Amino acid sequence: MKKQASDKVIGYFGFPRRSVLRAARERWGAGLPLVDLDVDLGAADSRALPPTTCRIISNIVDNAIALGPALAAIVAAVGEDKCDRGRHAAFLLRRRGFTVIESRFPAEEQENRPLLFSRARMPLRDKINAIMATIVDPSPHAAAPAPCAPTHGFWGVPPHDFRMLDLFPPTTHVYGWVRCVEAGRPADLELECAVDAGVPTVFFTQSFCAKQDIAHQLAEEHRGLAVDCHREVNAPILAKIEAFLRLS
Amino acid sequence: MRRIADCGSTWTKILDLESNALEIITTKELVRRRDDFFEIATGHCGRGRCATYRNELIALAEGGLSLVDEGDFSLVDVGGRDIKFVRFRGRKVEKLDWNLACGSTTGATLELLGSYYDIDFAALPPSDKWVNVTCGVFGMERVLEQISLGTTPEESVALFLHGLVRNVIDFLGRPDRFYLSGGFCENRCFVRTAERYARVVPLGRTVLLEGLKKGVA
Repeated sequence: MKKQASDKVIGYFGFPRRSVLRAARERWGAGLPLVDLDVDLGAADSRALPPTTCRIISNIVDNAIALGPALAAIVAAVGEDKCDRGRHAAFLLRRRGFTVIESRFPAEEQENRPLLFSRARMPLRDKINAIMATIVDPSPHAAAPAPCAPTHGFWGVPPHDFRMLDLFPPTTHVYGWVRCVEAGRPADLELECAVDAGVPTVFFTQSFCAKQDIAHQLAEEHRGLAVDCHREVNAPILAKIEAFLRLS
Repeated sequence: MRRIADCGSTWTKILDLESNALEIITTKELVRRRDDFFEIATGHCGRGRCATYRNELIALAEGGLSLVDEGDFSLVDVGGRDIKFVRFRGRKVEKLDWNLACGSTTGATLELLGSYYDIDFAALPPSDKWVNVTCGVFGMERVLEQISLGTTPEESVALFLHGLVRNVIDFLGRPDRFYLSGGFCENRCFVRTAERYARVVPLGRTVLLEGLKKGVA
């Protein structure tokens, strides 16, 4: 993980309320970079959490500990828009001395933004990156990507290891929590479970994530493929997805 | 020499396309044959030994379609390291899965146990009971525990085998009938135990090779 001791950043995880993120930037400096702690930033394993922890939650804690004093504050999504383990991570990081601002996305702040990237024809990796970037910068894109009919679907959260996304064709539509992020409705379970009928869909979760319950049920209902993975994907997981995409 | 191969975790099946001769060797022997190279290969140990590598599930599905004329059927390959499954409806894939984390190495563990205790699986009677075979290691622990309690090695291994069969049946979604691929087709106790739950149609050890043939120019 590259950082300089003098650099200050604001960390965040999940989809915090826009007003809370804005307030944090006003308080600690509008020019400070915002760092998404959910993603793999190359931090060393802090061993602060048990090995049977969802890799995304481990990333949050490992990244925060690796950044240490460089973190001016952490804006932590801890409501229904995240998960209990996210709330626990916020609690544990505060006990370690970090400044943590909790965010719970209220129903009245749920937005209804157009689903441009979720339904676009473009590489799935780029699509998900573009959607997740809207947490920090929700301003409309100058050129909306061209939509397409879905040949395949990807349901879930951004994976710890993005390599699996490269197996999907550009005509893959995005469902699940990532779609909720694009819509500005991170706690909308109905939208999270909405999948187009007849579209061969991979229901992805990190291992040890509570969303596995939903993924399992949806995969049964839609005859999709439920895939869970801990840490990095391995060759058999990639092969399973490849076979599903090709044969479905 | 034009050859294709299914290089599994414990066994490798090699087909000579010109003579149609089938060679089955242990994968530990394949690993020693550093110069063996194939036109098309599949399996965990096939990468880097072939001009074209084919995904195992795709090879299994295409092999099943070559060997079975029916429109709707389930096909499972029980290997040393994992279990692969494809269900067809109207000869289109309706569901597929590959169990490789939980349930891993159960096939290889059964082979190891059988070898260690000199079990003749052709003569071994199926057991009415079973132990939970979460994975190879936990399953072996159950076998050792049974033996320490006075259960014979034969019965203990049959308990393990029954647990493995239940895993396979659950993995398939408990069909009334299924096609079986892989070395367990030759394990009489496995087939007889599985027939307590469903009608089993063994297809033998070369289903994936049949699937690979589709890719031959």
